[in-house]
Amino acid sequence: MSAEAEQAERRERLIKLGSATAFLAIVVVAVLIVIGQSQGDGGDASSIDDAAEVRRELGGIPQRGLVLGDPGAKVTLIEFGDLQCPVCKGYAEEVIPQVIQSKVRSGEAKLDFRNFTIIDEESIDAAAAAIAAGQQGRGWDFVELFYRNQGIEATGYVTDEFLTAVAEAAGVPDVEQWNAARASNRVIDRVGAETAEAQRLGFSGTPSFAVEGPANGLETLGTPGSAGDLEAAVENAR
Amino acid sequence: MAADLAGAKTESIVSRPMSAPAEGTLRTIATFVATFGIGVATYIAIAEADGGAPVCLAGGGCETVAASSHSELLGISVAAIGIFGYGLLLGAALVRGDLGRMAGFGLALVGFGYSVYLTWLELFVIDAICQWCVASAVLMTVLFAVNATRMVRYVGTSA
Repeated sequence: MSAEAEQAERRERLIKLGSATAFLAIVVVAVLIVIGQSQGDGGDASSIDDAAEVRRELGGIPQRGLVLGDPGAKVTLIEFGDLQCPVCKGYAEEVIPQVIQSKVRSGEAKLDFRNFTIIDEESIDAAAAAIAAGQQGRGWDFVELFYRNQGIEATGYVTDEFLTAVAEAAGVPDVEQWNAARASNRVIDRVGAETAEAQRLGFSGTPSFAVEGPANGLETLGTPGSAGDLEAAVENAR
Repeated sequence: MAADLAGAKTESIVSRPMSAPAEGTLRTIATFVATFGIGVATYIAIAEADGGAPVCLAGGGCETVAASSHSELLGISVAAIGIFGYGLLLGAALVRGDLGRMAGFGLALVGFGYSVYLTWLELFVIDAICQWCVASAVLMTVLFAVNATRMVRYVGTSA
């Protein structure tokens, strides 16, 4: 066999090997996508995680409704969030805990969660459940636990069963009363009023933040990128 | 004389695999782009390290994307995975012969495919665009084009 023929044969063999490499690469990408989609899918009523972590995070801090912190704190940091929003989940896990430790636990500011339901009807159900939990002093436990167990938005995971599982894990003392409250017109109307307030402030996405304090009154912050930005906003509002 | 020139021209066309750029040029481009990719991914990883986000040149999509749960894969920052991937692609660009060609092609295809997925997530799941992530996706697309050309045109040759 001539050298040219040998090279052609070798090249053909390698092209076949290249095709196999391409196939393998596509399989690797598919595996990465499956892992990405399945990680923390959440939304599973039979498995509510991180209740102990949330208890540790919020332990010893007073709660009233969906306001966390000393009611006498001069600065109020307001978060407008949708419980189904994956970005809000990211903030709940990576940004808000630092602000709670540095500014809320110290009494420098209180944190007020308000519902801005932008995804679908299930967001309203979740928001009403959070407000109803707040009426029994477990509003922030509910919000934080919901985010940590959040499913993929608008997939129908926000069922009565899921909401009840979150409420129970959050330590809502009277689930029957909570059920009645979350279905009441008063609570549903409040969800609508909070969403309208967010729109009036010019917000179009979640989470959006505002801060209210003696220095500058009410200021909108949009979506600050880090806990440090929120801490600076609290300090400037004093 | 004219016949000699015609013959030389014909031989030149036949001896170079079609009209692809020289392999050395492709490797130089891949080296440059992979190094640039390491820089972009490193910047994103450092910016996100303490819960922050890279600075968006316009709009606020970077904060949103950085805070998303999709910015990590099995607890590892996607930016850190990017640094590793660009590092491997840089290595493949520096390796001569069929090993470098095959490795570069396979790695670039994985990187390109995963970049397409991440861009889809930004557009349709996270609803925000991070310009640094788009820059990385563009770099990965260039690397795929360069490595695919290198593989298809030069594998099995001694170029």
